[in-house]
Amino acid sequence: MVPIVGIDFERITLRDALDLAVLIEEEARDRYWEFADQLASHDSPEVADFFARMARIEDRHRSELLERRRTMFGNAPSTVERRQLFDVEAPAYEEARAFMGVRQALEAVLAAEVKAHAFFSEALPRVKDPELRALFTELRDEEVHHQSLVKAELARCPEKADDSEAYADDPNAQ
Amino acid sequence: MESFLAPNDYKSPLKPIWCPGCGDYGVLQALYRALSAVGRPPHEIAFISGIGCSSRIPGYTTAYGFNSVHGRALPIAQGVKLANPDLLVVVAGGDGDGFSIGGGHLPHAIRRNIDLTYLVMDNQVYGLTKGQLSPTSKRGLKTVTSPFGSFEQPINPLLTVLAYGAGFVAQATPADMPGMTALIEEAIRYPGFSFVNIQSPCVTFGEEEQQLRAHKARMKSLASLGHDPANQLAALDLARAYGEELYTGVFYRNPHPPPTYDALVRQRQVELQRGEPRPRARVLEAYLKA
Amino acid sequence: MLEDLVVGLAGSGGDGVVSAGESLLAAASSQGFYAVMTKSFGSQIRGGESSCRVRLSTRKIPNPGGVLDVAVALNWEDFRRFGAELPIGPDTVLIHEAKAGSPPSDFAPPGRMPREVIGVPLAELAKSSAGTDRAKTSVVLGALCSWFGVSQEALERGLQKKFGQKGAGLFEANRKALASGIAFAAEHPLAAPRSLARPAAATPKLLCDGNEMCASAAIFSGCDFFGGYPITPSTEVMQILSRELPKYGGVVLQAEDEISGVGSAVGASFAGKKSMTATSGPGMSLKTEVLGLASIAELPLVLLNVQRGGPSTGLPTKPEQADLFQAAFSAHGDVLRPVLAPTSVEDTFWLTVEAFNLAERYQTPVVILSDQEIAQRKETVDPVDVSRLEVLERTRPTPEQLAQGYQRFADTPSGVSPLSHPGMKGGNYLAAGIEHDAKGAPTASGAVHAAMNRKRFRKLDPLQERADLFLREGPADAPLALVSWGSSAGVAREAFGLARARGLPVKLLVPYLLYPVAEPVYRNFFAGVRRGLVLELSHQGQLYRVLRMFVDVPGGVTSFARSGAQPFRADEVLARMQQLAEGL
Repeated sequence: MVPIVGIDFERITLRDALDLAVLIEEEARDRYWEFADQLASHDSPEVADFFARMARIEDRHRSELLERRRTMFGNAPSTVERRQLFDVEAPAYEEARAFMGVRQALEAVLAAEVKAHAFFSEALPRVKDPELRALFTELRDEEVHHQSLVKAELARCPEKADDSEAYADDPNAQ
Repeated sequence: MESFLAPNDYKSPLKPIWCPGCGDYGVLQALYRALSAVGRPPHEIAFISGIGCSSRIPGYTTAYGFNSVHGRALPIAQGVKLANPDLLVVVAGGDGDGFSIGGGHLPHAIRRNIDLTYLVMDNQVYGLTKGQLSPTSKRGLKTVTSPFGSFEQPINPLLTVLAYGAGFVAQATPADMPGMTALIEEAIRYPGFSFVNIQSPCVTFGEEEQQLRAHKARMKSLASLGHDPANQLAALDLARAYGEELYTGVFYRNPHPPPTYDALVRQRQVELQRGEPRPRARVLEAYLKA
Repeated sequence: MLEDLVVGLAGSGGDGVVSAGESLLAAASSQGFYAVMTKSFGSQIRGGESSCRVRLSTRKIPNPGGVLDVAVALNWEDFRRFGAELPIGPDTVLIHEAKAGSPPSDFAPPGRMPREVIGVPLAELAKSSAGTDRAKTSVVLGALCSWFGVSQEALERGLQKKFGQKGAGLFEANRKALASGIAFAAEHPLAAPRSLARPAAATPKLLCDGNEMCASAAIFSGCDFFGGYPITPSTEVMQILSRELPKYGGVVLQAEDEISGVGSAVGASFAGKKSMTATSGPGMSLKTEVLGLASIAELPLVLLNVQRGGPSTGLPTKPEQADLFQAAFSAHGDVLRPVLAPTSVEDTFWLTVEAFNLAERYQTPVVILSDQEIAQRKETVDPVDVSRLEVLERTRPTPEQLAQGYQRFADTPSGVSPLSHPGMKGGNYLAAGIEHDAKGAPTASGAVHAAMNRKRFRKLDPLQERADLFLREGPADAPLALVSWGSSAGVAREAFGLARARGLPVKLLVPYLLYPVAEPVYRNFFAGVRRGLVLELSHQGQLYRVLRMFVDVPGGVTSFARSGAQPFRADEVLARMQQLAEGL
């Protein structure tokens, strides 16, 4: 599945690429906030807090990239739109579940980072400009770094299968 | 040139009650993007629904919403559009809402061809009331109201809507977000009654093979099969595979959309008024006997 | 020693709060207590805020109770979301997750803060005993067991039922959690100890809800067909019958909509079978036209309406008693159909049997007005002696009548004409919604129409004398009256008992037959009454208004009514009666 539509990686400019990187983080940030909301209203405060933390991290990444963009290109209008992205680094909606534990949430984050890494890896061969290649390489390697952080947290997470479903009440008809 | 409306401009602050993992979250996201692409401001959009989990969707957008009664979204929506044809009218509901209790309204909404877009979130179960059989449930399915297996042949939504003569019929799944987003946008832009059947799984009462992971493995785009959406007969043939195959894309798009009912009404109003609006206060003059 | 205890628990759906309540309910019942449980939850299908209340008693329980004796808050936010549904007071023992800290300062209304507040390290105890903090509700059950005298063995049986099938070790883990709760409570006795009195011998009881009772009674009555559609809070009736009715040779159809549901049931009745449908307010609205058809065609039919908050989609998961106008009056034309209302899970059984009897005997639709609280609360009920319940059949034409030119709608002294059905040779007739003569032929004659209306109304005259469908208690000459129906009647009964114990000159009337209004019964009851209350859960006070249409209700009898989802409490009804009693 192509997570980006309407972008030609052979012709993309550095400015476009930075804008794209900003939007990728933004999309992921917004998705994590959505997950935080969903899990909060489904009474899983611990997992909701975890997703909120992820959202803030993505927001930080976004700010850093936006800062670089502003330094290099000021407020020149962007030609890349959020509408062109489809869950590049954002975890898919079906990753969330009622009563999911922190471990499952971490796995969803890991899958998202792997997805993002795959995207940059696949885009890289098509990018010719050295400055752009450097950016994409940097972004790709960032994902590897993120993955290792997530894997470290997973290692700290209890391996035991989550019995949440066994303890939960039956669904309610509305 | 109107100002750009971002997808989040269509997002309301109300938090969805849907279970995490519900297919409808993807549909909502695609809808925000499709509406942003079409560019009509939220206050010019009327979003009508019936009753069910998926029928809660209007409340999660900033459009004018009407979460009405079970099965009656289409009649209400037609009234909205006829009263003010300048509005963009979108209709939503589930398979039970649309094909069970709402089934009787379908042929008439279609043959009237009023310009609106009908999105059905088809998950083959009654989710809101906790897991009963639905009209699109597979034959033999065991549910709380078919504990020994259902005897009924499911309705085929695609075949039904095509057979009633709809000018735009498509199917989508949140497993293909770019595809679904494009289809919803195209359906909204189609001038006339347009229908998108969205396979949006229920994560709480649906079967494993109905979930989005399974969709990713099974789905086939009609384009990849070389299907020509102008060919209605071919569309009917492909639609027969509903339940066995998960075809995504446009089954049928009328290459020469007829004038819509609302456009014809307007035209006739103009003709009858002969350019001169009549003062309503003089309505009784017709009965005056000189 | 306590004869009665009301426990309320609140937390999240993921905590298994309702399951804990069910374990408590089952344990109490098996010990011989009477018990009742209600639950309430948020608008999510799963995982939202969740609560239940369990009332245990050595005596029969009239209603789920008012102010909680014991409140268990797994966290403060979820408990507060339930507001007046879980009322607490100074005498409530408030148990909470220790980690949540002291109750917020505005947790209770002024002057209502519980005196005894106990923090229990639920998550910690669950973790150390069961290996997961998810087992906290089992710890709670252990604490309740020790503090209030619920049997540990019975609770373990409840845990076995919940966890036995769900994977190795889960039951063992929760058993340990239960034990850790017991140990904690033993080391931290209550400041004001309260233990439940031992119930008399543990006689076997039924444990079920109103929907289960109604479905069972339908089977008992000989119902052979159910046509319906899913709608909260009545769907369980269809689900139970889907499973059970075929075993008795019957048929259940989940129709495509409400109209088809009642339509198929009317068809089955026309075909000679006892038939039924079940729904709630919105479905009742849709079925109106077909009900009118059944009335003019004089076909038996039982229709269960489990009332929920209205109007329209309203409050699907909350009780209200605002469908009486609709049950009695919704029809165009002159239609009279009986409306019955149960007041508890227990009386739902015989009342449903009576509904079938009235439907068959008088060849008419009969509406049973239950409500969400009765339909979905789980209650222990003394075993029902079904041998004392009569089951009536419709009057069918005799072979002689069939041979001698049978007329389906021929008038008779009672107004009831023998009813044939397809398959009966010589009994052929046309059933129709159009007005018809004695043979069933369509007519537009005013005289025939008037005669038919008279017949259809006259056949129901015997209902005026059915004092057996009313509960009357108290001295016949009492000047203070209390009238109530449905689930509110359970509160009225308790308030009445409290009032009599305080010497108030009050009498009680609970109609099971709401419509037609049995005027002689009310005339008799209201004789000598100077003041009173009609207690019901609706904004308009619908029974009060209906009574005033047909009966000379004494001026001092007023309506005590309010919108649904805010059930009455016995103490507030008592207070009103005490006010009214002043100066009498």
